[in-house]
Amino acid sequence: MISSMDTNEANNMQSDLVKIQDEEEAINSNLENLLSKQSILDSKMNAICYFLGALNTVSTDSKKLSSQISHTSDLAESVSAKVRSVDMARSRASECQKRVHDLIDLQLCSQGVLNAIEEEDYEKGSALIGRFLSIDQNVLRRTAGDVGSNGSVTSVSDAVHTLEKATEKMRKLVVIRFDEAVNKDDLASVERFLKLFPLLGMHQDGIEKFGKYICMKLAVKCEKELRSSLDIAKAENRLSVAFADTLTTLLENFARVIEVNKPIIETYYGSGYLIILATLLQNECDLEVKNVILEFNKNRRIADLIQQINEYNRSMGGNMPSLIQFQKQSLNTDKPQPKDLDALILELTIMHSRVELYFRFLKRKVKSDIEASDKDANEKEQQIQRLSTILNNSDLSRKMQEILSTYLLFERHFMEESVYKAIILDTFEVGQQCSSMVDDVFYILRKCIRRSLTTQSVNGLCAVINNTASCLCNFISALKIPLKNGYPSGYTDLAYSAIQSAVQHGKLQSSDSEKARSNFINRLNNADMSTEFLETLWETVEQDIKNTFPSLSVTEQRIVDSCIAELRNVRDTLKACVNFGMTQLRSSAIKPRLNPWIDQFFNYSHILSEEELADYEAGETFIQTLIVQLDAFLSQFKNVLTPRNFDAFVSILTSDTTSRLERAIKKSSFNRLGGLILDQQIRALSSYLTGVTSWSVRDKMTRLTQIATILNLEKVEELSDYWGPDNENESPSWRLTPQEVRTLLALRIDFRIDDIKRIKL
Amino acid sequence: MEDYKFLFKIVLVGNAGVGKTCLVRRFTQGLFPPGQGATIGVDFMIKTVEVEGEKIKLQIWDTAGQERFRSITQSYYRSAHALILVYDISCQPTFDCLPDWLREIQEYANSKVLKILVGNKTDRDDREIPTQIGEEFAKQHDMYFLETSAKEAENVERLFYEIAAELIDQARSKDGTNVNKTTADAIGLGNFGTKATQNSCCSGFSSNTSQTNCENGNSRSNT
Repeated sequence: MISSMDTNEANNMQSDLVKIQDEEEAINSNLENLLSKQSILDSKMNAICYFLGALNTVSTDSKKLSSQISHTSDLAESVSAKVRSVDMARSRASECQKRVHDLIDLQLCSQGVLNAIEEEDYEKGSALIGRFLSIDQNVLRRTAGDVGSNGSVTSVSDAVHTLEKATEKMRKLVVIRFDEAVNKDDLASVERFLKLFPLLGMHQDGIEKFGKYICMKLAVKCEKELRSSLDIAKAENRLSVAFADTLTTLLENFARVIEVNKPIIETYYGSGYLIILATLLQNECDLEVKNVILEFNKNRRIADLIQQINEYNRSMGGNMPSLIQFQKQSLNTDKPQPKDLDALILELTIMHSRVELYFRFLKRKVKSDIEASDKDANEKEQQIQRLSTILNNSDLSRKMQEILSTYLLFERHFMEESVYKAIILDTFEVGQQCSSMVDDVFYILRKCIRRSLTTQSVNGLCAVINNTASCLCNFISALKIPLKNGYPSGYTDLAYSAIQSAVQHGKLQSSDSEKARSNFINRLNNADMSTEFLETLWETVEQDIKNTFPSLSVTEQRIVDSCIAELRNVRDTLKACVNFGMTQLRSSAIKPRLNPWIDQFFNYSHILSEEELADYEAGETFIQTLIVQLDAFLSQFKNVLTPRNFDAFVSILTSDTTSRLERAIKKSSFNRLGGLILDQQIRALSSYLTGVTSWSVRDKMTRLTQIATILNLEKVEELSDYWGPDNENESPSWRLTPQEVRTLLALRIDFRIDDIKRIKL
Repeated sequence: MEDYKFLFKIVLVGNAGVGKTCLVRRFTQGLFPPGQGATIGVDFMIKTVEVEGEKIKLQIWDTAGQERFRSITQSYYRSAHALILVYDISCQPTFDCLPDWLREIQEYANSKVLKILVGNKTDRDDREIPTQIGEEFAKQHDMYFLETSAKEAENVERLFYEIAAELIDQARSKDGTNVNKTTADAIGLGNFGTKATQNSCCSGFSSNTSQTNCENGNSRSNT
């Protein structure tokens, strides 16, 4: 710092000295300041030294604590080990106690059992043996060994020995006594010994023996019942269902055995044993049912009937006989008649439903028994599987399938024959729209489907629905034959009397074609009515199915749905048939008449002066004549067609009228007044046609109304009031293309081509 | 509303134990369940397949072969679009019954129904019916022919896919959506044949076989 100063000058040196002095003072004060802090630092250092000593004490304390904790944990462990061993000791003590009890009981048993056997007190004896068997045999033997090492080997092993011998003896005795009771047919004794088997550890034997006994009794009973069944049926006036009744009684007998004995077996044997009894019973049941079915087949000539029907079907080749063929066939008495089969079909359905119900009952009972047993889930599942295998493979289930098969064959024959009969005996009453066959056919189909539901078989029901569908297809082709021939008032007859018959049409026709005509209309109505009946049929059938089978499996439901969908296809075929008839009617009845009527439009001038207009309105106008003609024409059909058919008819008539009239208009020319009249005329036609049907024909009239509007314009420019996006909300959207509008405007002779060209569309 | 363009019903018939259920299971579930019990009445499976870019729903009806279920199974013939008649190549009696089955089909089914003869169980080495005999029979009776093994999954997919393809073609030519009916038929009928050559590694299917199928198909379209 000094070097940087200019030391040569005295003044400067003075001032520099002052500066240096100042700095020295500052440094001194700084040093003093620092020195003054020394004492504080010292005291702090002292404090730290003091605390260090304290920390050492904490460290030793915590070490002490940790050793104490580990010590405690050791103690706790040893306590819990002691508790455990105490626990074990206690359980051993109780086991010991049990063993002592067992041993005491063993002594008592071995003392009592021989006495009991001697005194023929089998209940007591069996109970004692039951007690003996409930003791774990291995433990017992070990106990005997333990006790034996202490000297008195005899008492325990002797007791065991005695009891084993007694058990053997008792088992034999009970079997003998049970057999004796069976031979004597002493039900009380049978039940008495039945209860003893499980005590002797003979569950399987007991149930098997009991099952055999019951089967024997049932066999006798069934035979007796079968022999007297026809007599009883005669007495009760149920001869037609005699075998169904017999089968019902038979199955009820078996079901009752299960019902009555289930609680007994569950009480004395425990759950899970019923399946043994059920299996035994099923074998016997198979045999008994076989006898009934044999008798049934013989008595009702089932085999003959099956053969006859099969032969008949084969001769038909699966096709519906033509009507003439059928009339010949009905003379052939070999073929079973539907009314003879009727009662038999009923009996078959009853038989089938009884077996179905019996199986359901059996399954439910045995299943609940298996569920209640203490086996694991897997084993239970296996048992249930075994049960259904046994039932499915049983002869009864085979017989049931045969019954269903016979039923279906008969039902199909019944259905087809009855439907053919209904078609042949079809009668038409004057004043009716449909003939008798529609009612008859659908009554028959409904009856058959209902009856199939009473079999309780989904397979049977579906087969009958399928048969119904194919039967209906035949029915439709029968309906279609007259429709194919067409409506018999073709163009030729029209050529003769086109003008005369315009108003009083119908009276000039010969009665033959009159008949053919009403036949045609009748078939058309029949087809329409049938669609309605068919819809009702499947709706009610769906409801019936829900009521009869409230819990169908997914697959079953799908099968049923698919079969019913088949009926829907048939309905579509029927609708197509109606449409076909309508087109026939259109080409032979509507077209030939309508065209000349409308072509009259050309005979009127559409370019009118005010005077001519007055004249025209005074005379008979085109539209008045047309409406009178249409009205007369429609009134012929109004009452003979079903409402739906009549509406369809008017709809066709309207389309044809409008399109023909449109053509006529496009070929004519108009002035302002001509357009005015046209507009009036179209309004009149529209309101007439709207009046005759129950649904609106306005839509079909739209094009024509729009054409009239265009031709009724005062000036070309007026069109913009109607045309364009602004007006879309007020009037229906335009059905005419801009090109058509221009062409139509050009029909007005008073409109200038230039104006028409200029207009924006 | 399910998303499919066509719904076809296929019914399998044939003697008990020829493997109808196994064929259906193999196709619909990819399983071969051994030790199946006999089918009771009818069983019903659905599988949606895609053929020629179209979703096709196949309703497959598996019927019981035993005589006593006949009146149930017969009722399903009428609405069937295709009938698969199955026999067991290792069991002569199942082949001998074929004429009876055909009589039944004639009696109950739609005359235009597609008929396919299937010899099942080609995995077995105790064959009793040579391929050629089956082929001959099919040819005589206007049927397609195929040998399958449900166990080895051989030709099973192909069987159903080709039926679907054939039925689509039939449906289209009926709808009139196809320009030319005869070409549509020719394409459809070629299916069984052409694929046969492609899969010539399959047992029992030589190129010779496919040739016969083609001829068989052509004779159908002519009649």
